[in-house]
Amino acid sequence: MLKVNDIGKTYGKFIALENIDLEVADGEFLAIMGPSGSGKSTLINILGLLDQNYTGEYLLKEKSYKDASDNYLSKIRGDQLGFVFQNFKLLTTYSVYENIEVPLIYSKQKQANKRELVESVIKKVGLEGKEKNLPSELSGGQQQRVAIARAIVNRPNLIIADEPTGALDSKTSKEIMNIFTDLNESGTTVIMVTHDSEVAEYAMRTVFIRDGRLYNDEKSVKK
Amino acid sequence: MLDKVMIALKSIGKNKNRNFLTMLGIIIGITSVICILAIGDGFTKVETKGLQDHNTKNRVTLSFTPSSDDDTTSGFTRNDLSVLEGITGVDHVKLTSVNPEASVTVQHQAKKSSAGLNKVPKKLKLSEGFGTTLNTNDTSDIFISKDLADKVFKGKALNKRLVINDNVFVVSGIYKIGDFSYRPDIYVSKTTFKQLFASQISQDEAKIYVKSSASKKRVSKSALNEMKKFGEDAKLGKYGVSHVDQITKSFTKTLNNITYFVAFVAGISLLIAGIGVMNVMYITVSERRKEIGIRRAFGATSGDIRNQFLIESIILCVIGGLIGIALGYSLVSIINHFLPFKAVVTAYAIVMSLSVSTAVGLIFGFIPSNKAAKSSLVGLLKEE
Repeated sequence: MLKVNDIGKTYGKFIALENIDLEVADGEFLAIMGPSGSGKSTLINILGLLDQNYTGEYLLKEKSYKDASDNYLSKIRGDQLGFVFQNFKLLTTYSVYENIEVPLIYSKQKQANKRELVESVIKKVGLEGKEKNLPSELSGGQQQRVAIARAIVNRPNLIIADEPTGALDSKTSKEIMNIFTDLNESGTTVIMVTHDSEVAEYAMRTVFIRDGRLYNDEKSVKK
Repeated sequence: MLDKVMIALKSIGKNKNRNFLTMLGIIIGITSVICILAIGDGFTKVETKGLQDHNTKNRVTLSFTPSSDDDTTSGFTRNDLSVLEGITGVDHVKLTSVNPEASVTVQHQAKKSSAGLNKVPKKLKLSEGFGTTLNTNDTSDIFISKDLADKVFKGKALNKRLVINDNVFVVSGIYKIGDFSYRPDIYVSKTTFKQLFASQISQDEAKIYVKSSASKKRVSKSALNEMKKFGEDAKLGKYGVSHVDQITKSFTKTLNNITYFVAFVAGISLLIAGIGVMNVMYITVSERRKEIGIRRAFGATSGDIRNQFLIESIILCVIGGLIGIALGYSLVSIINHFLPFKAVVTAYAIVMSLSVSTAVGLIFGFIPSNKAAKSSLVGLLKEE
């Protein structure tokens, strides 16, 4: 799915990422763990083509987008990637249905298809009957379901989740992780950032990040 | 596109008060634009209609003003007519008189007096006597004004004889002249007027019809010069070029001044409105950084974002424009009660107003929209 060779990023003199090498296979479920400020979010911003300001090489499906135009990156993000953010990042004045529809506005789907796609993901995340509700009328778990539905409505190859359970209690976290597991089992690659080891257990593989460096197991982080 | 319009409407609806205040400038501006155009169009319509009626377009009017007030006979003569018609560029000339009344001397018994005389109108309300007009065979009958009756007959004038320029007539009716109307002292039948008095009216106006190829200005200049040199009554008065459309002209001038003023007000209010729109768009953009980030992450290009905010700014202005058009329309119907002509709101004015509001939205929305489009994505996604 993706390959990262020696990626680095600095903010002035501060080194945010250094010598990152990572390979993620198609259909994999990867957890990236690390304390806050370790560079997790910086890394997934690069993996999600949200941040192009880095050194090194990043290949998504064997293609580099380092020199791609802003518009092309938008198209790739819309077509191939789906994001789930920690604080849901829903549009507060839009209904559940309208929030989920957002990625479809910018894709070249037909109107009839759009409705079908939105309805199918609503069913998938178990939000039937909530289509017209505003996010503020939903619980945290339901809001994250909306966010997941929005991330998968365009049928992306890769889902990037940044602390998807960060704002949820453990019971709701489990429900959300089960949705991710289901998605992964149906073939979607998932990369998830978390600082919760329980949540990380849902992943096939976990890598660790500390002070901008990536480690393959927890022991090496502690060294 | 429809998606984006809906997004824009939704966002505008969310901040009704703020956006209404922003629109106010547009509303005032467009209302003024509608009014100016309506009055201008209405006036042009009347003016062009007037031109067709009187055919003043190719006409120069030369007038003669006698030096003495008592002189009622001098003016343009037959010879003057041929001189005028000989000027290059002149198609034909008509001699008329400004005041088509004949000045006559009336006599009752030994008392003589002067009076103005004209042919009878189609309908006249008499205070004494019968009938409303004089027929062609009523050659010896006349109507006289109450004033003349009092002056010459000391009141009792009905059926009495009156000598006018040595012809004898019988007073068969008396009419009153109202305070605000003008009537001559004596009315005679059309036939009588033509036979006895028409020749006594001085022809003090020459309507010169200019060929379409010739210049009105040059013709009027040479006509004036010719008359000064060869005019038969040149010593008895002065010649001048009178402007038939002088009233129209001065009205046009006033109207133009009003138009400039209102256009100025409209321009200023549209400028202020534009700045308001810009300001409110800046606020909207910074309030919605999170939304922009989300949309960008889910496939919106920077162009999509710019268009979204531009559409919003345009819709804001167009809604203001539509309200302005409605308001302008009602204002025009009120103004119409006070205008001597009918102001009309044309389709052109509506299209024009909508274009202006769209342009305001486009111009003043562009910089904020561009700012939204150019924001860094990582920064946007940090917004909560």
